[in-house]
Amino acid sequence: MKRGGFVESTLIGFTRALSRALMSEEIARRRGLLQSLDPRVRVVGLFALVLAVTLSRRLTVVLALFVVAVTIAVFSRVGIGTLAKRVWLVVLAFTGVIALPAIFITPGTSIATFAGGSLRITAQGLATATLLIARVETAVTFTTLLMLCTPWSHVLKALRSFHVPQEAIAMLAMTHRYVFLLVENASQMFESRQSRTVGRLPGPERRRMTARTAGVLLSKSIDLSSDVYMAMQSRGFRGDIRILSDFDMRVWDYVGLFAFLCAGSIAVWTGR
Amino acid sequence: MHIPDGYLSPSTCATLYVAAIAGWYAALKRLKRLLLSRVVPLISVFAAFAFVIMMFNLPLPGGTTGHAVGVTIAAIVLGPSGAILAISIALAIQALFFGDGGITTLGANCFNMAIVGSLVAYATYRLIAAGASIASKRRVTAAAVAGYLAVNAAALVAGAELGIQPLLFRDAAGTPLYSPYPFGVALPVMMIGHLTFAGLAEAVISAGLVAYLQVADRNLLQGSSGVPVGTEVPLATPVQANSQRRLWMAVALLMLLTPFGILAAGTAWSEWSPSEFARPGSPAQIGTGANVLRGTIPSGMQRLANLWTAPFPGYAPSFVKSAGFGYLLSAMFGVGFLLALSLLAQGYLERRRATRYSR
Amino acid sequence: MLGCSHFFVPAVSQSGQEGRSLLALLFELQDVGFEYERLPALRGLSLEVAEGESIALLGANGSGKSTLLRILDALYFPSHGSISFCGQHLSPELLTQNGFALSFRRRVALVFQNPDVQLFNPTVFDEVAFGPLQLEWPREQVLSRVSATLELMQIAHLRDRPPYRLSGGEKKRVALASVIVLDPDVLLLDEPTSTLDPRSQSQIVDLIQEWKGSSKTVITATHQLEIVEDIAERIVVLEEGKVSASGRPAEVLSNHELLLRANLVHAHRHSHGTFEHSHPHLHSHSKHEHEH
Repeated sequence: MKRGGFVESTLIGFTRALSRALMSEEIARRRGLLQSLDPRVRVVGLFALVLAVTLSRRLTVVLALFVVAVTIAVFSRVGIGTLAKRVWLVVLAFTGVIALPAIFITPGTSIATFAGGSLRITAQGLATATLLIARVETAVTFTTLLMLCTPWSHVLKALRSFHVPQEAIAMLAMTHRYVFLLVENASQMFESRQSRTVGRLPGPERRRMTARTAGVLLSKSIDLSSDVYMAMQSRGFRGDIRILSDFDMRVWDYVGLFAFLCAGSIAVWTGR
Repeated sequence: MHIPDGYLSPSTCATLYVAAIAGWYAALKRLKRLLLSRVVPLISVFAAFAFVIMMFNLPLPGGTTGHAVGVTIAAIVLGPSGAILAISIALAIQALFFGDGGITTLGANCFNMAIVGSLVAYATYRLIAAGASIASKRRVTAAAVAGYLAVNAAALVAGAELGIQPLLFRDAAGTPLYSPYPFGVALPVMMIGHLTFAGLAEAVISAGLVAYLQVADRNLLQGSSGVPVGTEVPLATPVQANSQRRLWMAVALLMLLTPFGILAAGTAWSEWSPSEFARPGSPAQIGTGANVLRGTIPSGMQRLANLWTAPFPGYAPSFVKSAGFGYLLSAMFGVGFLLALSLLAQGYLERRRATRYSR
Repeated sequence: MLGCSHFFVPAVSQSGQEGRSLLALLFELQDVGFEYERLPALRGLSLEVAEGESIALLGANGSGKSTLLRILDALYFPSHGSISFCGQHLSPELLTQNGFALSFRRRVALVFQNPDVQLFNPTVFDEVAFGPLQLEWPREQVLSRVSATLELMQIAHLRDRPPYRLSGGEKKRVALASVIVLDPDVLLLDEPTSTLDPRSQSQIVDLIQEWKGSSKTVITATHQLEIVEDIAERIVVLEEGKVSASGRPAEVLSNHELLLRANLVHAHRHSHGTFEHSHPHLHSHSKHEHEH
């Protein structure tokens, strides 16, 4: 492993997280199909479609839903290239590897044999592997579309109107906000260590260093939480978080909702 | 270990969501009583911390790297309720925002990592560290063992959830509709990855953090020390009698899962085990047409299956005819075993605390 | 708008006296002690703050400035001694009473040193709206006040921005906006100008001067001596958790010994040819002229 390899890969993870957030902000501002709908409709609609993906038992239906996902992406001005690079290829690599053995070991009607009969491919194996990959790809696409086209605060407010408890919403909001701060802090700590590391450190020393970074981060986190608590109290927080929810359903939103639910129901019905 | 959408059937997802929601509800109620309005900022920032820890590429003994979950340090610092919520929130944000893990499977992932993980981590840590002073080496070891066990327990449950899918959810042609790997494959594969990398990663970071805190910030270790804390609001409370209720709850949930197995037809547990392949004239499900395996067992499968040897092979004690009843018996045995273990641990801790009172 | 008499909420009167007339004393601290993780942060601190005063709280890091501000904002409570606000003893119990809490939290505002601590909402708009919402203002009022405040602080264009995408100066402005939206009577500022560039600094100083002028009470904790004369009519010096001096800026700032002891200035030594001397050093190192 090259010098500082694990530090570098951690840092890469950090930057990827930040860049994803920035990208989503930019896409959420574009004028597209999803962006034009009330956030609550987006949450309900896309979740209904993910549910439909999970409920369908037929590959054809799942693939049809994938086409729906791509269509929505195009009309919401989300680049297909972006989706392909960030979502589809990643899922394919991960789930593809997981699904591959299933082609060989799933019992059923064999359709090909190799290596003198000790390896065989079954129809059921192929079917299950493709079904799995299709499901994961489609579901992740829907979820990604929701998050790319909707600011986080809107997702949370939508959840609030579905009576998710206010503490949960508050915690999701605050965690998200402070993830960025902590990632930045951790990044800086790692970067400064990386530049100070000359030559390869022995394993135990590397582990100690990582634990120390994590430890400092932990102490800072607890202190931060105390200070945030005081800041909240200072402005009147007494236990219940009140938020301003200013979503209004227009006709277009109802149309959108109807369309989502129709698509989902058709998918579930034909896929049963 | 994050299970994406599509690997678990809707009914599995729904069941685990119910279990997870029950856990969240109980944890939130308990936390609010202890921390009042401080819950929100504390859990949030800790969840953010856990999230960042999950991103660390940890160097492991042997030259490899792995990722931890952070559930153990959460349980040590915040206690089980706080850990359940903090890790669940971190998982939710990972799933929604970064596509790590699905949203239909969020309930399952939270149940595995946040709930099972926290409970196992906390119980193990308390058991091993019982009575040790805050600065003692035993606590570091306890954290390491707790981390290792917690992650592997979570992996075990996840493997079980995945393994049961092809048994219960197939279409008419026999194609598995969700995760295609039965127990004999899913469990060993899950466990191998976690017994080696992920478990070690969690052990390393948990031990490292406890060692750091012993030097830098002892207060944070107070809550789970079993020693009465000072006038400040503790972040976690020492084990109390009502934690037994929590264990009962966990046990009840585990029992709820076993009927899934009973639903399966036939000798569900031993289906697709290597011996089935070797039996000439196996049921049609396995190798119709010419038994192309010619009576041989793929040696890889044999090895994998042998890794997973349960006390009750086939999970059906031989004197029982019906598979369903065998299931129930095995489940009860497992449950009884856990219960006995926990009661013993409880008794031990109580006795320890009574004889030791120091500040 | 101002005055303890306006603050007085009859139901929570602790001394039982009704109809208290205009109180000159806003805050009264007597022999206050406070421990943080068993280390004393304040010891035997006594202080009186009158309405409309503008005070600069000077002290080195660790002298207890931040702790004092938090005690004034009823976020910490003294472990010894007492603190009164408009004659009422501030205690945790008092702050649980809804009527008092709503009033106090609106009237007294604290701006923290680290703006990240104060920016915990998803967007700038949410942040500024947080206070009014928690204090249960009606929706229309919240919307109009927030918009007005954003305009005032010139951050309306940052409305939908999440806090992690703000620069240091922008964060400070949002933090200020989030408290002044409530139109508080008392402003407690913890190092408001540290880490800011000169232009942002002077903007903050201008704001403080405006507040001074409109007879709000302003207490600013700072270690930057150069702004003190602009923002305060009275200086209180803290050393190791106690008040070691209190007086007009001119008096305190000319007391070099005190300033040195309180670690607010350093002795600056330099040489001119073969002649070397040292003197207390108040200004930045960029421009340096003196006689000798």
